[in-house]
Amino acid sequence: MEIRDQLIKYLAFGWVLFSLWSCQHVPEHQPDNSFTFVKPPHFPEATYTLDKNPITEQGVALGRKLFFDPILSRDNSVSCNNCHQQSRAFADSPLHPTSIGVDSKFGIRNAPSLANMAFLKEFFWDGGVTHLDFVPINAIESQVEMDEKLAHVVEKLNAREEYRQMFKLAFGIDEITSPYMLQALSQFTALMISADSKYDRYVLYGEALSANELRGLELFEQKCASCHSGELFSDQTYRNNGLSTVFGDEGRARITESSEDIGKFRVPSLRNAAITGPYMHDARFKTLLQVLDHYDGLMVGSSTLDPSFKNGNEVVGIPLTEEEKAKIIDFINTLTDYTFISDDRFRNHD
Amino acid sequence: MNINTLIYSKTPFFHTLNTFFLSRTHVKIIALLALTGIFVSCNNNDLQPEEFGTFQLYFDNMVGSNDLVLKNPGSTDFNYETATGQKFNISMLGYYVSKIKLQGPNGELFEDEVSISASESKGYYQVLEDEPSSHNIVMTNIPAGTYNSITFTIGIEEDGVQEGAAGGVLDPARGAWFWNWNAGYIGFGFEGTAENSPQPYVDWGGGFESQEKTFAIHVGGWKDVAGNENFANNVRTITLDFGTTITVADDLSPIAHVVTDVLKLMDGTSIDFGTTYSVHAPKAGKPFADQLNEAFIIHHVHQSSGSHGN
Repeated sequence: MEIRDQLIKYLAFGWVLFSLWSCQHVPEHQPDNSFTFVKPPHFPEATYTLDKNPITEQGVALGRKLFFDPILSRDNSVSCNNCHQQSRAFADSPLHPTSIGVDSKFGIRNAPSLANMAFLKEFFWDGGVTHLDFVPINAIESQVEMDEKLAHVVEKLNAREEYRQMFKLAFGIDEITSPYMLQALSQFTALMISADSKYDRYVLYGEALSANELRGLELFEQKCASCHSGELFSDQTYRNNGLSTVFGDEGRARITESSEDIGKFRVPSLRNAAITGPYMHDARFKTLLQVLDHYDGLMVGSSTLDPSFKNGNEVVGIPLTEEEKAKIIDFINTLTDYTFISDDRFRNHD
Repeated sequence: MNINTLIYSKTPFFHTLNTFFLSRTHVKIIALLALTGIFVSCNNNDLQPEEFGTFQLYFDNMVGSNDLVLKNPGSTDFNYETATGQKFNISMLGYYVSKIKLQGPNGELFEDEVSISASESKGYYQVLEDEPSSHNIVMTNIPAGTYNSITFTIGIEEDGVQEGAAGGVLDPARGAWFWNWNAGYIGFGFEGTAENSPQPYVDWGGGFESQEKTFAIHVGGWKDVAGNENFANNVRTITLDFGTTITVADDLSPIAHVVTDVLKLMDGTSIDFGTTYSVHAPKAGKPFADQLNEAFIIHHVHQSSGSHGN
């Protein structure tokens, strides 16, 4: 009798405790994952050093504010957003084959999309930069882009109370220094993951592609995927794809200092290619069809032309029928990620 | 049957315990102590030395047997001469020192802590000729003991670069020598004016100019890609023997006086300022990096504490 009464007392007490505990733990709505780095299931591991610079809501908000702020430029006229626009998957408008910087200066290379940088090993068309944190320094200090000195940007930020508060919130610091500014920008850009296109939904959820798109995927895998491989649609190597016989812009050779690399440029990701034109490092092709026409018969030889385009000494390119080109383009169109280009996290919130 | 019953059962062992000196409380306490004894004995703290001291690494920049006296860029006061008779002066000299280690004759080893973050770059030092306080690197928390050699790295290796944005002496906005376009740090750099340098005057804009007849040798490059010898890894690790044994203790703060002879880089490469006056890429910097081992020499070490004169 005694034992049973005791047992009931303990159970009742335990039940009260459990009820109190569970009231605190049952969420009323879905947790906010906006500022969590989530690797898409079919992607490779991230290369970015997230452990050194964990993504936080305050860090992303600060990085976003910096991204849209022309304070990074010498005369307050050019922000990152000027050459990297969300509607173009953070590449530049087709009206700007090479982007326009301070004093209306032009560069020599096409601004690439900023999607999926957290998964890349190297950055820029020549792969000169090997860590995402260091990428913005080039845009800031290039005389044809923002034409500003990093130290001066830091000075300008420290003079703005709003920035001092945001840096304090994001990093706990009282004085703004460049590494924190670069880390804030990295937090914002590392979140720019593009993995929700029609193609991705086909891969992940089995959503249907049209007959043409499926045929295009098949052709793509046969003819293009040896270089534009994997879910990033690039093997991240540097290759000469027969654009010229001579190269004023030496490309990868600028970094490796080897004549074997003259005219080699990074294999770009083809994600969102339908909206990131014009194409190639010097933006010479306006349409995807022009790109495929180039591969099918318009390539020119040079000493560093990629062997995959040659048969012995003959330049063969990638022969394609007009119908094949149309279907490959249908497939490339499925790589456009409308979720990414309308994602509110990447909009200007100022 | 509960535990009390067990202890006090009439088996001979427990009966004896119970009879002579152990109540049930005592048994429980002893059992508890026995358990904690296991955890205490797993601690290896008795291997750590109890005494620590300070060690100073002092860099004395020289040009051959001459003290380094800086001149302004473009100055035609040529106070030095190469082995082949080319006259020059120096307006800037500096280098990054990292991963300092002390070694002793009985396996003693001290490794200066290296750690990069946005707030600081621990274990990375920038020695600048025009900043005398940077010539002296003071390391504390050296385990007491005897040491007879020192190892340090000139430049920033891959594991440093790939940590990303770094504070302190690696912050480009605070004077770090960083290559934007080929991300990495200049490990050793010197500039000056040479009688036969063909450098013309250039206004680069933004307040930056190159004076006539100047030269700039910036040695950077850290990439070591397997199978691609095109990349030049110009980071060098140098080990210097003291030639004697020094003792670190809590009342003994020894100092190693290292001479950095930049003339070794020039004579070692038979530099001709007429063609080699603008080195800003790894490949061109390699011949100079290959001389770094010759350029650093232990001048002397001594046991005394107190500051070392410039």
